[in-house]
This record gives sequence, structure tokens and C-alpha cells, in this order.
Amino acid sequence: MKKPSNTLPQAPVDDRPPEVLADLEFGKLTSKEYLYVAKHPENEPYIKSIEDEPPLFIYISTYLSYLILIIIGHIRDFFGKIFKPQEYSHLVEQNGYAPWYDGFESFYERRMKNRIDDCFARPIYGAPGRFIHCFDRKKVGKSEYEYPGTTSECLNLSSYNYLGFGQSKGVCTTHALKSIDDYGTSGCSPRAGAGTTDLHLDCEALIADFVGQEDAILISQGYGTNGFVFPSIADPKTLVISDELNHASIRFGIRVSGAQVKVCKHNDMKDLEKVIRNAIAQGQPKTHRPWNKIIIAVEGLYSMEGNLCDLREVVRLKEKYKCYLFLDEAHSIGAIGPNGRGVCDYFGIDPKKIDILMGTLTKSFGATGGYISGSKEIMKRIRLSYATNSYGESVPPAVLAQIISSMKVIKGDINPGEGLERLQRIAFNSRYLRLGLKRLGFIVYGADDSPVIPLLLFLPAKMPAVSRMLYDMGIAIVITAYPATPIVSGRVRLCVSSALTKEDLDDTLRKFNEIGDLVFLKFSSGRAGGSKVKGKPPRWSIEDVLAHNVEDCKKPNLGEMP
Amino acid sequence: MSESEYIFTTTKTTTAIATTTLPPTLDSITSTLSDTFVHYLNYLGKLPGGDYLLWYIKASYKDDPIRSLFELMLFIFGVRYFLMSKRKENKSELVKFSQREIDELIDDWNPTELVEPVNDTEDWQLKSIPQIEGPNGPKVKLMNLTKGENVLNFAINDFLNLSRNETIRHKAKDIISTTGVGACSAPNFYGTQEVHVRLEEDISSFMHTDNSIIYGQDFITSTSVLPAFVKRGDLCVVDSGVNLAIQKALVVSRCDISWYNHNDMNHLESVLKELKPGLDKQKQIQRRFIVTEGIFDNTGELVNLPELVKLKNQYKYRVFLDETNSIGVLGDFGRGVTEHFGIDNKEIEIIVGSMAKSFGSSGGFCTGTKQMIHHQRLSSLAYVFSASLPPYSAKVTSTAIEEILHQKNGKSIIVSQLQHLISYTFKNLLTHLKSSPFIEIVNDSSSPTIHLALKNEYRESIGLPQYYGNVEFVRTGKRAKFNNELDEHYLLENFILQKIIDEVLKSKNILLTRSKALLEHENLPIRRPRLLVLVNIGLTENDVDSLITGFNDIINDICTSIKTPNDLTTLRNEMINY
Repeated sequence: MKKPSNTLPQAPVDDRPPEVLADLEFGKLTSKEYLYVAKHPENEPYIKSIEDEPPLFIYISTYLSYLILIIIGHIRDFFGKIFKPQEYSHLVEQNGYAPWYDGFESFYERRMKNRIDDCFARPIYGAPGRFIHCFDRKKVGKSEYEYPGTTSECLNLSSYNYLGFGQSKGVCTTHALKSIDDYGTSGCSPRAGAGTTDLHLDCEALIADFVGQEDAILISQGYGTNGFVFPSIADPKTLVISDELNHASIRFGIRVSGAQVKVCKHNDMKDLEKVIRNAIAQGQPKTHRPWNKIIIAVEGLYSMEGNLCDLREVVRLKEKYKCYLFLDEAHSIGAIGPNGRGVCDYFGIDPKKIDILMGTLTKSFGATGGYISGSKEIMKRIRLSYATNSYGESVPPAVLAQIISSMKVIKGDINPGEGLERLQRIAFNSRYLRLGLKRLGFIVYGADDSPVIPLLLFLPAKMPAVSRMLYDMGIAIVITAYPATPIVSGRVRLCVSSALTKEDLDDTLRKFNEIGDLVFLKFSSGRAGGSKVKGKPPRWSIEDVLAHNVEDCKKPNLGEMP
Repeated sequence: MSESEYIFTTTKTTTAIATTTLPPTLDSITSTLSDTFVHYLNYLGKLPGGDYLLWYIKASYKDDPIRSLFELMLFIFGVRYFLMSKRKENKSELVKFSQREIDELIDDWNPTELVEPVNDTEDWQLKSIPQIEGPNGPKVKLMNLTKGENVLNFAINDFLNLSRNETIRHKAKDIISTTGVGACSAPNFYGTQEVHVRLEEDISSFMHTDNSIIYGQDFITSTSVLPAFVKRGDLCVVDSGVNLAIQKALVVSRCDISWYNHNDMNHLESVLKELKPGLDKQKQIQRRFIVTEGIFDNTGELVNLPELVKLKNQYKYRVFLDETNSIGVLGDFGRGVTEHFGIDNKEIEIIVGSMAKSFGSSGGFCTGTKQMIHHQRLSSLAYVFSASLPPYSAKVTSTAIEEILHQKNGKSIIVSQLQHLISYTFKNLLTHLKSSPFIEIVNDSSSPTIHLALKNEYRESIGLPQYYGNVEFVRTGKRAKFNNELDEHYLLENFILQKIIDEVLKSKNILLTRSKALLEHENLPIRRPRLLVLVNIGLTENDVDSLITGFNDIINDICTSIKTPNDLTTLRNEMINY
């Protein structure tokens, strides 16, 4: 028995045979039945996903929980400042210096998040594939950890490893390793300086072709992509209409650009139309001059809600009102659509109708960075005036090699058939897990085909409970709460991957079933589907769920099945 | 039969309705109303504390019915106010339109293009970006411009030539073959790999600080770190030559800004002195920062840190120092300006730097006290909302630090090699260009990036302005309302530099670069565009010599052909036909 230490121990060497390790990163498909092609049926209306609500007492107890947490936090702060001033020294002025951050600002972090700190940022080693390897740790004191030296192998429902390219074996790794030999480890210079190599150009051409646009530009970080693209397309005479649940990077980018912004309700097309109409009619504030242009900024797949945007309607509105459309496909590119080309592919819309398609390569492609794509003329201007292109680093070679090879696998240029299998596996897995959870009685949000499955917990105390119990059972999940979500709806966010097998998902369902009973999570009303008898809340037994799930999850519209 | 029955029932119901809806008197209405009201009011008594409320309402009604009415109105107003949306815009400014009027306005509205098309005078900037076939490094093969192999590359930021280092590549491959390329997750979820933790430890021990945090991109680091600490009402005293990332960070943080002249410590002192009385009056001290860079990206000058630290301690400011260009370059072990001046790193509160330059990796980092770093893990947007750095890049940086720490005579071998080459290049270039009437070296001798700019007298003689852009930000602390417009003179001056670059490439097979500041995004005025010579240790003194021999002649040839403002017209045509 090793002595617990305060520093992170070395990762153990895994000496299991390579086939076993490869299977732990990407599980083999166990039956051809576990595949599905996800595409929105043509000519059928967009189905808005229903957000089920829990009984009223859940809401009340959630608010009460937060109230108690806040009151106790303030009481502790009050007495703590009197009796243990040294522990609060960082929150008060010290020899003429203001504190780094004030107590009020950090209250949420100190008094709430800190209590469940062990559920976040668990250090890991190895590829974030089907299984993820975490270092066990124990919290000692306020913010220190003790590491006993052991590790846990957990089923990975947490990484954005949608298509399972988070691998350290296989064709993509071979390409990445070769690129290190051929090109080195760094991009060496900004793109506009001397950082453009043939690998960058090839990769950009491939991305443009993949997403169905004329040209694309690569940026070394997803957040940075959004963060600095808006100044190139929007100025203070531009209005950006942004969905209220847009990612922080989009909001940051708009702030940097100085453009005016109006927020529309999440995925609410009526509200969007109203906002557009009013904006055009009213013009700019004070002067009432007409806007130079209006840009609608939406995401393809919302990462906290699992909703797909109503793209057909957005495109219709954009064309009707002469607006421009910025579509962030950070989560949807690769993961959504019969060919993995994102929401355009899924809804059967010509990508050229969208002015600017943005996406990240971190998620489905197992690489890092982001891209912006659009028509030749638009991209020419963006290439010229993109701040990151002139001032920031260029994408390093191994990342380029990973993007190129994984994209070619999806397209079928490398290992034909593999890409298609990955796409159909994630589509099946998403529906399978979603329907299973709904039938067991959990409240889950989001579209049927979304690989992001938020499972609602509501009560803050349930978050660490679920996270720790599942960790002990060997499942790694992500819990999110305020400020990423509204304060009442704390949730588990499950990210489904192609790397998981149907058996893994069965195992997940069994464990969730157990936990759902234990901490009382099954309170769905059946409004969002999953009921056995129409009108009654779904409370299937786990045996029943597993017996019918394979065929049932392939039926259209999971939300409406009796 | 059934029909008559139907008729019968209908008549019956109509009469029934008729009897109940007889026109009632006003009295009966009031009595029913008050009856039902009192009936419901009695329910109130069943609530805890309702008894008292009931008694209060009754008593107040008995004493003064008007007061009750007033209280009711107040209550309704309160509810309405509470339910009203908080983000409601100022209604008084809005004009009321009917739907038809809106439709007409929409028909009338002609938006501009999403982006302005790139015009003839700008296009050359894209064409002049060099494209490299195969690996980037000290010697490259060019695919465009003047095609050629073994082009000496004086244009890359890999100052220590670590990108192709054998040990580093080996370690990077080890990590890729155990963890893959991407981290696939945000650091606060499951994106913190062992190598990330190790790198944070390595940077802290290298920089002699408590703790460190790493970011996925270098350019975003300052833009994300600064707003995590500086909020509305806080004060930043900023050097007026800072890079774009810091400019944007200041804009985003909405703090108060005071500027001091670029690297002018006397001016800094007078600014601090001037601010002091106002700050002393603050009941609660607000955060104050002095924001500057180690080696300035825009000018290549070295910050006067000893003086700055003295002032900072005297006036009790914290320092935000961007060491993007100085890490791995200055000091015996490349620890940056602090080591260069022999200043304890603890004196500088926030140090940020890039791992994509000297370290031959990618990403950025911030280092300092534990508390400061810990706060970023939840409050720095680019850390919280983006995926971790690829694990192999973290390993590359860790190994690069090891490489830097290989020492001889108490100095890092490779860093002193770089410093030697920098001073060799700087000295020789300085002597070589001493007599040039057209161009001069404008940076500090320790910068790995040598900045050359057209001399002011020459610029004046061909009618180039003193500076480009606007001074709004420096003057008011708020950025200019609109972006800078396209400035043809700015393009022309850059084009002169590009001509030199092209000629050097053609006649010497050497690649140089120039500053590529984007005028439309810069909030600070741009003084002069720069021709940049970037030194890296993959090059030798001989390579530097071959750059210098005849360099002046090339510049003379090009600049003598442009002597008067009229020559700019010919230059413009050349630019269009590039």
C-alpha cells in the first residue's frame, strides 16, 4: 500500500495486451442491429423538444436548498470573518492592495462550488475514449487533495468524443505520429507571417469540402475562433441577434467587436422574427438610422440543452428579412447528420445558404481548434482581417494530421465503411440511451438525435451524490449547474459516443436506474414521451426497458410514442 | 318527433338564461361583489399570520376606505413591477409602427454586404503570405513567391529551434501514442490530463512562482486573464504601446484606463502621482494594475522593469506583464525580463506568456500566486469554456523547459546561444544600416525580433502620415466609436516593406517578414509598420552575414525609386498588379 501523497502520482503503465487496450478506447460493434441513420424526415415539420417539468415540490425544495446554502454561507462568512480573520485575509484589503476578487463575487464559488469541488476537474491519464482513467483522490482540508495512488477505469460519458476519435491507436494516430516526424511539434509562426505550410492548406481545403462551403480557415482554438471572428464581420453599426443560450465564446466575440446585440428567446422562431422585424423598423438606437446589416447568431446543437436549432425556419427568416446567418456547429459537426456534415446535412439544407459556418475540431474529430467557412469572397476578407491569423499561433502539425485523417475516415477516403459505422453508431447510441432514460422515468432534455443528453437533477445536493456514486460504480459523468444553466435546473450532462457499445449503454441504464431510485430522480410526467400507457408517467422496470429498447428507439419521434 | 323535442329544450334553456340575466341593480352588484370578496378574504385567515393581515385590512377599511384603495393600488403596482422584465429597453425611444408600416420599412431596407469585398489595393497582402512545403524551420522550401529550396527563414517565432528537436519529438510521440491528439474535454470536466498537471508544476518551478495555469491558445491568454480580475470601476494604468490582445482585454473588461507614454517611466510616475489623490479618497480600495509587456510586440522595446517595480511598490499597484516575446529569450535561463533584470518573480503579480514561440509548442500560460491562479480556473472564460491544450503539446513544453535548463557555466546553453546570435545580428545590422537614409533599427538590442522601420524624414518626404489609426482610446480611455477605415497610405508603406522582403527573397534566398498589424482592429495608433528580422538558433552567423551583405543596397534601390509623393501613384499601380 502506497502512502497517500499531496501531489498527483505518476500514471501507471498499462501492460494489458494491445487488442484489449484498443477495445477500451473504441468498443467493437456487437451487432449490425445497433446502427441507425439519423436524418430529419423531409417535408415534415421541425419537432420542438418538450421540456418536462418536475412536480412543484421539487422546485420548491430546490429553491429552499439554495436558500439554505446561501444563508449558511453568509452566516459562516459573518462569523468566519470575526473568529478566523486569517482565512478571509484574501478577501479584504491588505497593506493598501485591494483583494484579488471580492467576497460577494466569489460567494458562489467559495460557498457552493467548493463543497462539491471533487466532482470537477478529476485528473485523468490516457486517451479519453470509451473508458477514461481517473486518479482517485480524497479532499483534505479546504482545497487540498490527497492521492492514494490508485486509479479508476470509468465508462466515459463525459468527453466530447462523439465519433470516438479520442484514440491513441489506429489510423489517425499513425498520421499524427508521422506528422511529428515530418513537420515538428509547433506551428512556429502566425499564419499571416510564416506559419502557412502545405499541411494547413490541404486541411483547409478538406474542411471546406467537408462542410460544403467554398473556403475555410483554421484557428488553433475553438473559443478563440468565435472570440475574434466577430470583429471581422461586425462593427458598431451592425446588429447581432443572438440566441439567449449561445456559448460564452460567441458572446465574448460580439463584445470584442463592439457590435450592438439583441437577445432572442432560445430556439423560439416567433420571437426571433419579432426581434428582427422590430430591429429593422426601429433602426439603430438614438439615431434611428437603419442598421448596416443584421447577423443572426445561432448554434446547431446547444451543448447544455441538447436542442437542435430549427434551421429551416432560421434560414427562411434570414432570407425573408435580408439578414446574415452565423451558425456555430461546435457540437453538431461530425456528430449530426447521416454523413456527419452537421445540422445542414440533418435537415437537408444546402450549406451554401448559410453565410458563415463555424465549427470546432475538438469534439467529433479528436483534435483541437476551430474553423470558419463560407463563400470565397467572404473568406478572403476574413483571412485578411482575422486577428488570430495575424497575431496568434498557427495550428500545430499533429493536430492538422488528426483533423485530416479523421475527416477522411468520416468521408470514407480512409478505411471505407468505418466512418459510416461511426456515424450510425452514435445515432443509434444517442437514441438508445435517451429512450431508455425517458422510459425509466428521468427528465431528459433535447432532440431525439442529439448526442448530448442532459438529465435533470434540480436539487443541488443531488449533483455531488450522483457524480460520486456513479464514479464509484465506474461511470464518469459531467454535472453542470449555475452559471452554465439556470439556477434551478442543475443537471448531469451525458455525451454519447460511437466508441460505446450497446452493452455499455445497458450497463449505464442499469446503474442510472439504481441511482434514480436511491436519490429519487424519477419524476418525469410523461409529457416528453417514454410512457407505457399514454397519459401516465413512464416508470418502466429496467428489464422491460432493455427488452424493447433496440427496436423502439429506431421508431420516429421518441417524444410521441405511447 | 326528435325535432320537436329539440326545439322544446332550446326554448327552455333560453328562458333559464333570461331569468338569471335580468338587468341587476347597482346595489345588488356591489353586494354580490363584497360578499364574494369577503368570502375569499376569509380564506386568508387560514394562512399562518393571516389573522393579523385580516385584522389590519378590516381596521384600515373601517377607518379610511381611501387608504385601503391606495394600499391596493400600491400592491398591484408592486406585483406589476416585480413581474416586469428586467431587460426591458427604454420604451420612450421606440417609435410605434403598425405591422404594415414595418413591412414597408423591411422592403425599403437595403443591408450592406456581410463583409466588404477585398479590393485591388488589398489583395496583394494575401498573395504575399509565404506558403511553405514540408516542415517549417530555419530552412524551408517555398511554394509561392520566389519558389526555392533551402530558403533561410528569418521569419519564425521558434527562436530556440525546438520544434524539430529530436528529444522533444520523441516525447511528443510517446504521449500521442498513449493519449491521442485532442483532449476532447474542458479542463474543469475530464480534460485535465496528468501531463497538464505536470506542465503547470514545471512552469511554476521554472518561473519560481507558486502556481500556473495553461490555456489552449497564446493570443487569447491575456484577453481572458485580465478581464477575470479587472472589472468595472477598477483601474488599469497602461503603456500606450501594448499589443492587440491586451487592448481587447481592456475593452472587454470595461475598467477605467489611464495611459502613460510608451515605456516612459517618468510619465508613468507623473500619471500615478496625478491619480493618487483621487484614489486615496476611495472608501474601499479598487483593484489597480499597471499593464505592460516584457518585450513589446509592436515595437520590440524592452520594458524598464526595475523602475516600474519601484513605482508599483511605491504607489501600491499590481503588475500585469505579458512576456509572450521574452520567455525563453531573456535572462540566463530564459525566464524572461524578471531574470534579465534580476527581479524576484514574486514582485510581478500576473505573468502571462506564450508556449508557441520559444518553447516550440502551442498554447499560452499564466503564472503567479496560488490564489490568483485558482480564481482563473472558474472565472477566466477561455479556460472554463474551451477544451484543454492537446496533451502532447503540454509534454512538448515540459520537455522544452528541460532542454532550456541544460546548462554550462550557470547559463542555459541554448538561450545563451540565442542571445549571442541576437546581439551578433543586431550589432552587425546596426553598423550596416548606420548610414542608410531610408531605414533604421528601432528596437532594443535584446529582442529576438529586430524591428526595422522607414526613417521619419524619408516617410515625411514621400508624404506618409505620422501615425495611422486614431488616438481616441488613448485620449478618452474608451475605444473609438467606429473601426478604422482603410488607409491607403498604410497599405503603401507596408508595400514598400514587402518589396524589400520580395527582393531579399529573390536575390538572397532569405525569408523576412513584416509586422502585420490589422489597422481596422487596432485601438491604438500605429506609428510605423515594421520590417522584421526574427533570429532563431537554427541559423548561423554565416547566415546572418549573408543576409547583411548587400542588404543596404537592396533597400537603397527600392527606396530611391520612391522619392516624392507622386511616386506613390506608380507604387499604387504596382501594388494593384502584384
